[in-house]
Amino acid sequence: MRWSLNTMAIGFAVLAASALVSADDKPLRAVIDDQVRAVWEKEKLTPARPATDAEFLRRVYLDLCGSVPTYDETVSFLADATADKRATLIDRLLDDPRFAQHQADIWDMILFGRNPPGFDTDKREGIQRWLREQFAKNTPYDALALAILRAEGNTLDDGPPMFYVQYRNQPEDVNEAISQIFLGVQLQCARCHDHPYETWKQTDFFGMAAFLARLEVVTVGKANNLTKYAIGEKNSGDILFTGPAKDQSPGKKGEPLKPKFLLGAALDEPPLPKDFKEVKFEANKPPPPPKFSRKDQLAAWITQPDNPYFARAIANRVWAQFLGRGLVHPVDNMSPANQPSHPDLLAALATALRDHRFDLRWYIRELVNSQTYQLSSIGGSGEQNPQLYIAARTRPLSAEELVEAWRITTGYAAVETTSPPKGVATGRFRPLESGYMLRFFGQPNSGTGDFQGGLQEHLYLNNGPLRNLLTTAKGSLLATVSDTSLPIDARVERLYLALLHRPPRDVERQRMSEYVSVASAKSDERWAEAMWVLMTCSEFRFNH
Amino acid sequence: MKTHCGSSEHLSRRALLKGSLTTSAGGVVMNWGGLFGNPGWAEEVQRQKKHCILLWMNGGASQFETFDMKVGRPTGGVFRSIATNVPGTQVCELMPHMAQQMDKIAVIRSMRTSEVDHPGGIYLMHTGYRPSATVRFPEVGAIVAKYQGRPGKDLPDFIKVSSQGDAGAGFLGPRYQPFGIGSKGDLPPFTNSSLAKEVESRRHELRSFVESQYTQDNPSQLARMHHEAYEAARRLQSVQQKFKLDAEWDKYRELYGDSGFGRRCLLARKLVESGVAFIEVGQSSYDSHADNASWHKGLVPPMEQAWAGLLTDLKDRGLLDNTLVVWTGEIGRTPKINNRAGRDHYVRCWSTALAGCGIKGGLVYGESDADGVEVKDSPVSEGDFFATIYQSLSINPREENFAGVRPVPLAPFGSKVVTDLLA
Repeated sequence: MRWSLNTMAIGFAVLAASALVSADDKPLRAVIDDQVRAVWEKEKLTPARPATDAEFLRRVYLDLCGSVPTYDETVSFLADATADKRATLIDRLLDDPRFAQHQADIWDMILFGRNPPGFDTDKREGIQRWLREQFAKNTPYDALALAILRAEGNTLDDGPPMFYVQYRNQPEDVNEAISQIFLGVQLQCARCHDHPYETWKQTDFFGMAAFLARLEVVTVGKANNLTKYAIGEKNSGDILFTGPAKDQSPGKKGEPLKPKFLLGAALDEPPLPKDFKEVKFEANKPPPPPKFSRKDQLAAWITQPDNPYFARAIANRVWAQFLGRGLVHPVDNMSPANQPSHPDLLAALATALRDHRFDLRWYIRELVNSQTYQLSSIGGSGEQNPQLYIAARTRPLSAEELVEAWRITTGYAAVETTSPPKGVATGRFRPLESGYMLRFFGQPNSGTGDFQGGLQEHLYLNNGPLRNLLTTAKGSLLATVSDTSLPIDARVERLYLALLHRPPRDVERQRMSEYVSVASAKSDERWAEAMWVLMTCSEFRFNH
Repeated sequence: MKTHCGSSEHLSRRALLKGSLTTSAGGVVMNWGGLFGNPGWAEEVQRQKKHCILLWMNGGASQFETFDMKVGRPTGGVFRSIATNVPGTQVCELMPHMAQQMDKIAVIRSMRTSEVDHPGGIYLMHTGYRPSATVRFPEVGAIVAKYQGRPGKDLPDFIKVSSQGDAGAGFLGPRYQPFGIGSKGDLPPFTNSSLAKEVESRRHELRSFVESQYTQDNPSQLARMHHEAYEAARRLQSVQQKFKLDAEWDKYRELYGDSGFGRRCLLARKLVESGVAFIEVGQSSYDSHADNASWHKGLVPPMEQAWAGLLTDLKDRGLLDNTLVVWTGEIGRTPKINNRAGRDHYVRCWSTALAGCGIKGGLVYGESDADGVEVKDSPVSEGDFFATIYQSLSINPREENFAGVRPVPLAPFGSKVVTDLLA
């Protein structure tokens, strides 16, 4: 017997034990803080101090909404003296439409990455819109995953089939992606050989891929110059297993392999009638459903509440999104060889999430209300021990977040006209070009702080068109700070509060005042330079 | 003397500029100030540092049409072999210029590697490792940049001129990311500043102050990396003329041959002279699944003339002793000529070549069998190949870096340095 089954048994025992823990109705946020603190005490570590209001404000806006507060929002939050103002803000942001947009952005990146394998996946507004709708109405995660895996309807009117379309008719590739995304395990090594250290065998890989072997991408129409795709499923067809890659030789045909759930039972499948004739999918017609859908069987198995991987995978993934690092890290490599840093905590999170019917908004609310999330990113021994959550993580803003933060802080978003001037880009990144932003800042960041910006990013920051954001329209930041009727001190204060969401320190106040006080032909030029400095500095570039 | 003059003068000019910046910029800029008025030391630094030029044959050049001739055999193809300046060693008739440089290079005829398709092969022959889902291995260029690069200098340590491979710096981080130049030596977008010098300069000083405010109490590695990249981007402004060739091209056209690849090889030599640790120069379209002979007839002559010119030029300038020139692609090509007169992908037995930086010239290492199907003698794996490259560059191939908590040696565990190749 492979020892993974023992591990699973232990996993279930832990699940049962933690169910007892949550039975005393301790909120999950308190369970988190208790368990994280217990490890600090055991390791004799001192955590960072709690985040200041200003630190918390910017962080929680970025994490929940992918955006930053306006000047007015900043000032009012910092001045608010009520004790539960953080919890109130969290509730407000969870209901903000930008929450749905931001979570949809994150899931779009999880499902497709920045450079999906093609087949029209660069134009996937259908599934992007669908994801946004699901997060807006807080669809339970198991239902969301089920819909993606069943892939009903078409790519334009419905959306979800696009996930399979990117792996056009390649069951092995779909299997790798599904296992990583929804089960948090990496099977790809087992595609070519039995893994020397991991549990998976090659037959596990192909047993799972067999569920997907009958899928076929079908073109079902066109609208607005985009092709509509649907996922058809045949009634017959098997995956052929040829053994280890190194033993393969030309002409060797594989053996058909039956579907088998990962480390579980084989699929119980009704036989096809003897006189059965396979259907042919016709263009521009929705493919008829098969008599027995292997795909739907797999989708149901993955998302059922007692699947041993599903709840753990999502609990861990969302934890990493907000805390910077998975309890199992990386989040899609859960295996006996890669144990969680806090096994009891992961079990408790998975159980709680399952008990709350995969309500992600509830789960995220618990995470960001925890003291662990609300630590400062400065202090403690965080950099050496990221897996002990001694300080908040520092992560780069994504391309979308960075542009949104520039648009908000400069006041561009508030004063932009409905029809931008000729030659200025439209679209979400306006007035900047999405092409360049995605190229230089677009690497997906999973919240793990994998920062890959380099020279090219700075060449863009230094020499690119950031000036387009510095509108002088009334109400913009540049117009406000270069208004000489206000005292210079107030204007410097405004500059810092608007761009960095905190008041300047004395030394900053002084240096900045000197910089902008030099008389020059164009009075706002120095202010524009000061804005550029704060828009490109590390404090702006990172969420901390 | 002549070769170092430009560079040490250049360092000194930069040192002056940086003297005023180091305090506000933090500790990232190495203090070259001491070099001013001390060209002796500058030359010493220049002399000790090693460089590497990778000539990348994208698509996979054929060993049968270059260095491993099988004339008269069914796998031999249409070309004849010619004598070289090394008695007993013959190469393809498409390579008359390299035939006269064979005393400088070591050919490996016994490459046996493990990725037979382009994406995997390109990854493998840039990193020494097969693609992995869990570890992002760095390219050889990033490794050489880390161990032979010079922090705080103006040009990037790792420059790719019209070449392939997207593994980049991998887990070594953005500091060692390649800087990409187009096929005509064109710089990437946004390289040029439109600001007046004094505006750029004062804005930079203010930014340095703001950065120091953040980093003084925030220990984040990210901010440090962000700042290093900013410094590097800024310094690039002052060295853009290093990428311009037009003024010199007339003088070198004959030596390197009048081709795009020739120009790129001249650029590589200039960048070595300017202190860049690693330059990769690409030539594409070797994937000759059909009409193999015609493809090679078109591709090899300009490539081999440029390569020969590069070796001559490096030698004349005294740079070849400290500059390793690597010639490889991601794969070799099949012995069997297919029904479209093409050769397909083959990694069981193929050829690469090394020159300079302590590599023995005039050497052929390893042997293929009569038809070039199998390695007959002394197989060289990708790991052995990279271990030898690192050893030649005075970098310990067993040195470990950490991908997260996992130690990863520069050359894969178990790789052997091919000591016969080293003088």
